[in-house]
Amino acid sequence: MYKILIIACVFFSFGAYAQDFSYGDIEDSEQSFSKSTLDSNANAIYLNEYGTSRFIFDSQTGNMKLVHDYHARIKIFNKDGAKSADIVVPLYRYGTGNDQQEYISNLTASTFNYANGSYNESVLNKNNIFRENKNKYVTLVKFTLPNIKDNSIIEYKYTIESPYLFNYRTWEFQTDIPKLKSTYIAYIPSNYNYNVTLRGFYKLSDSKAEISRECLRVSGVDMDCSKLTYTMNYIPAFIEEEYMTSAANYKSAIYFELAEVFYLNGSRKKYTSTWKDVEMQLVDDKNFGGHLKRKDVFKDIVPNITKDASTELEKAKAIFDYIKKQIKWNNIYSKYGDESIKSVLESRSGNSAEINLSLIAALSAANIDVEAVILSTRDNGMVSKINPVISEFNYVIAKANIDGESYLLDATEPLIQFGLLPLRCVNDQGRVINLKKPSYWIDLKANKKSTSVHFFNGKLGKDGKITGKLTSSSNGYDALSTRKNIKKYSSLDEYVEKLEEKLSGIKIKDFSIKNIDSIDLLMEEEYQLEFTVQNMQNADQSYFSPFFINPIKKNPFKLKERNYPVDLGAQYEERTTINLELPENYKVKETPKEIAVSLPNNGGRYLLQTTVNDGSMMISQVFTLNKPIYSAEEYFALKEFYNRIIQAQKTEILLTKAK
Amino acid sequence: MRKILLSILSVISVFYANAQNFSAETIPQALKNRATAIIRQSETTVDMRSTDNVMLTVKKAITILNKNGDDHASLALFYDKNTSIKGVKGEIYDEFGKLTSKFSLSNFKDESAVSNFSLYEDSRVKYYSPAVNIYPYTIVYTYEIRNKQNLVIPEWRPISSYDIAAEKSTYQFICNPKDELRIHSANYNRTPEEVLTDKQKVLKWSVENVAAIKQEDYSPNAAVFLTSIKVAPKDFVYYNLKGSYSNWDELGKITYDNLLKNRQDLPAPTKDFIRELVSKEKTDRDKAQKIYKYMQQKTRYISVQLGIGGLQPSFASDVDKLGYGDCKGLVNYMQSLLDAVNIESYYCVVEAGNNKKDLISSFASMEQGNHIILCLPLKGDTTWLECTDQEIPFGYLGSFTSNRLVLACTKDGGKLLKTPKYNAENSLQERKASFVLSKEGNLKGNVTTTFKGEQYENHTYLLNKSQNDRENALRKIYDVNNINFDEIAFKKDEDQIIFTEDLKINVGHYAPVNNGKLFLNPNLLNVKKSIPFIRNRVLPLYISSGYTDVDHISYTLDQDIVPEFQPKSVHIKNEFGSYTLEVKKEDNKLIYYRILSIKEGMYKAADYAKFQEFISEVVQNDNLKLILSLKG
Repeated sequence: MYKILIIACVFFSFGAYAQDFSYGDIEDSEQSFSKSTLDSNANAIYLNEYGTSRFIFDSQTGNMKLVHDYHARIKIFNKDGAKSADIVVPLYRYGTGNDQQEYISNLTASTFNYANGSYNESVLNKNNIFRENKNKYVTLVKFTLPNIKDNSIIEYKYTIESPYLFNYRTWEFQTDIPKLKSTYIAYIPSNYNYNVTLRGFYKLSDSKAEISRECLRVSGVDMDCSKLTYTMNYIPAFIEEEYMTSAANYKSAIYFELAEVFYLNGSRKKYTSTWKDVEMQLVDDKNFGGHLKRKDVFKDIVPNITKDASTELEKAKAIFDYIKKQIKWNNIYSKYGDESIKSVLESRSGNSAEINLSLIAALSAANIDVEAVILSTRDNGMVSKINPVISEFNYVIAKANIDGESYLLDATEPLIQFGLLPLRCVNDQGRVINLKKPSYWIDLKANKKSTSVHFFNGKLGKDGKITGKLTSSSNGYDALSTRKNIKKYSSLDEYVEKLEEKLSGIKIKDFSIKNIDSIDLLMEEEYQLEFTVQNMQNADQSYFSPFFINPIKKNPFKLKERNYPVDLGAQYEERTTINLELPENYKVKETPKEIAVSLPNNGGRYLLQTTVNDGSMMISQVFTLNKPIYSAEEYFALKEFYNRIIQAQKTEILLTKAK
Repeated sequence: MRKILLSILSVISVFYANAQNFSAETIPQALKNRATAIIRQSETTVDMRSTDNVMLTVKKAITILNKNGDDHASLALFYDKNTSIKGVKGEIYDEFGKLTSKFSLSNFKDESAVSNFSLYEDSRVKYYSPAVNIYPYTIVYTYEIRNKQNLVIPEWRPISSYDIAAEKSTYQFICNPKDELRIHSANYNRTPEEVLTDKQKVLKWSVENVAAIKQEDYSPNAAVFLTSIKVAPKDFVYYNLKGSYSNWDELGKITYDNLLKNRQDLPAPTKDFIRELVSKEKTDRDKAQKIYKYMQQKTRYISVQLGIGGLQPSFASDVDKLGYGDCKGLVNYMQSLLDAVNIESYYCVVEAGNNKKDLISSFASMEQGNHIILCLPLKGDTTWLECTDQEIPFGYLGSFTSNRLVLACTKDGGKLLKTPKYNAENSLQERKASFVLSKEGNLKGNVTTTFKGEQYENHTYLLNKSQNDRENALRKIYDVNNINFDEIAFKKDEDQIIFTEDLKINVGHYAPVNNGKLFLNPNLLNVKKSIPFIRNRVLPLYISSGYTDVDHISYTLDQDIVPEFQPKSVHIKNEFGSYTLEVKKEDNKLIYYRILSIKEGMYKAADYAKFQEFISEVVQNDNLKLILSLKG
């Protein structure tokens, strides 16, 4: 199994001494710095970036605070780079009290423009700093630097005080513009224990651990700190590409999570540190374990729901359908159920946890072996495997174990089949939480291929018109997206009308759509079509293209280089067969070449075959992608694969008139 | 790229509802047709108690028929120092009219309302969207908003967007009988009811059974076909501004006197610098051009909307010091720089956007217009300047502001002026290309394209992009599989206003080979996109900009390719424009020649079918495939 994420434990060596660079002291090498040494496509780059974080003890509140100093120097090469001079610093609020929010201080910013051998400094005026109260939780401190010209150098620094210690302060090495040098120093008091992880594709240029004596004074006692220095040089810009999951999975950054604290009085508080602790924490949590245990709520309902089911699997399906129908998802992702199962059932609406924890409770009320799986959705990023980081999980689903098979179930999508996970949940691995047994990892995979089969049966008239019937059936995610799309409209007529507008040129004369609500069956669509391919009148020979159903016209893989894996989410298969009756007195003279193209390691294939009979012909295509995720190295094979298919689908059939 | 000035107040179209039966079953079938939501009942009341106290009350019931209609259920109330939300309450009913939940202001999320083009604005929004997943459902609400100004009265639109129908909607405007009002009604063909007492004048408009409008391609600005009522009182208050106006002349004068006049002082060294800068220039035009260039280099667009509701420019001296400003600030700065050398210019309010919209000549009001440009009369040689774009040539306005009525705010009052218009002939894109076609179907060659008139700006945004970004953007523009750009060069001629793009390209396996034949679509770079066939077109057909594209391509064929093919010649001409296609042989070369010319104009809805047919014909011809034989 390919792993997308590189999470490395950070090891330390002894390296050079890192110190903040001096404000406004621009070196000649920075003035003359040419972007081509790093990235000739850059509009702006960080010449230097330096940050430190340390604790201070607030004797007024008796609480520890985190103080973060940030300092950056950026060179703006051109007008497009000027947006790097628009700075936004978010300040978070964790509660309503004055000691529950972050504060900014010591904000200074300047633009340096080089002229006649020296720098003119334009200092940011305090009046031009804005505080935008974005919402209850975030205030944005915003400013832009004055007098930006090509090759301006901007510099700014500030200090943030935060009451929030759990995640310390994340340091992002990689951003949307490249960095020449980025240094982060974390002073961590010796009685605090943090789990530290480095994410992303780039390695640290240097890292170092030292003892910093008497770095902190608490109630008259001096304490020592670990001084951790992380340096990364020559960091490329992060550019988002297609078929990627959350950007946070790929960006190089250092993350912290508090593991435990030893207090001066000798006591110790453990925060998340082992899976065993996490399990206990979750099982005891009334919004998680509390829900799991409420099978009594369903005691009276379940026998009624499952009265027609004879096997355990049928029972599970009936309960799954019941929960899907009974509770509608309010589009909120959560691993905790805030409302009780009872009130969720009453209001018939709930977040993802409320729905799926209800599902688990209901399944266990039917004595089905069921567990909870906590996971992180695709847009929420990947979870750390080395240390349990509970805050990284944002979702919970059910895992039912029936007759030796296990089924992953998410009842938030009313149109999803039993055992198929919505694509948002298909993200590496989830952790199975059982009330009685230890937890373990499980792969979150799409257990069904996304498939669609198209069959067109029709005839070509002498006027170049093709009329015929297209029958399409789909399964898996293809079926899900078709069903969801149809459901957006008030009637099938409106859906088909929109479809016809999109098809441009193809007229839908009649249609029939089946199994929209019978989701365990194939999604079936039938369309009576009419369209013109070529006017053949007066021509002895005539070419036309038989690739009128879902042709691949564009290559989705266009990049010259790809740094990240291609994450499609699910395997895919499409079969297309066209059976065409030819006009009288016409013969097929040439057909598209039969081809078979494959991706390496059985990654996928494309087959094109034509059969010519008397008065008719058949063209069949099979297209498969056998992997949900392709590595960055496989990118070019994918690109070429698509090129070959596009190539093949450009060729045409030649018909000649019999003399 | 130009950006839009903050609209003064977010105009929320607002409606009213009574306690009644909200069952979805009672909706007339005809209204449901093509609608995603139905306004069941709606009443909007604007009570102008005094110039600085205008109460807006909205009561509204909307049935949401399906998921596509969810947006119509969300409620966003904007507020700021001048606008306060007095109360909100609402209820949600299921399909059968049974109450399922209630909401109030405490259920709203509160956020800053800073548009994505702005660094800062002092407006906020409270918004609510019900989490209902079972259709149909009905949302019923009422809210009250107090405006401490009457310069901008919320406009009434019984339906304000696509796919929503209205059963019943009314609007009342209440004021003192002595208040002087001007009213603009669009697509409302009755006179309002009027009730007059000693203390109050009440005007009332109402509509019933308004069908939903579907969004259709090539349709005019919605203001053209939607019903709307605008009210403008003569005497007004706005922040600390007081005045009265009843026409554009007076409104322009108010703007000049109160918002511009005292914001134009520049520091003496800047004035001296400017005078020195143009000391060698002879004509005002040359001077202005030099100053414009200076202003473009010195400044960049940053939007900060503070103070008088986003109407007043920042001080010219501040822009001078900081090197940035928004459209108002930059125009005011440019005007001040010109003033230093005694060149007259006008600060002009325009409704910017690619979907052209005039200021209403017969109805002056402050909320019209969303952008500022500068006009230089230059003794008959009227010149227009866009001041928020550092690359745009002197005197050029693109599709964003061209061909529409704008308000010039001068010391002598307001004047309506028309910005320049480009037509099909002068909005010209001319392409010359020569390619070599190998027997494997590979293509290689040079392409030179010039862009003029409104088409000048087609690719100018690529000018400052990095090589990678240019390639990625061009790959999207010239959407040919496998296309590679070996060289990319751009040139702009600011005097003639011509943009030139020089490309060296190669396309591997462009023309597929099968059975000893090559299939070549000679129109590599300019295939027209098809437009949808629409069964019952309702909206007028509107082509906002005319243009002409000329493509002249020569293919040198590999010696193993037999230079035999069916020459082709197509000529189409109709009221919408013309199309010419020629494929011929010239000295063993294949010559492809195409001209597509589309005229600007407004046509009847019924004409859309003909236009669609014309475009389909163009698309079909653009997809022409030539079959070439290979030797041997």
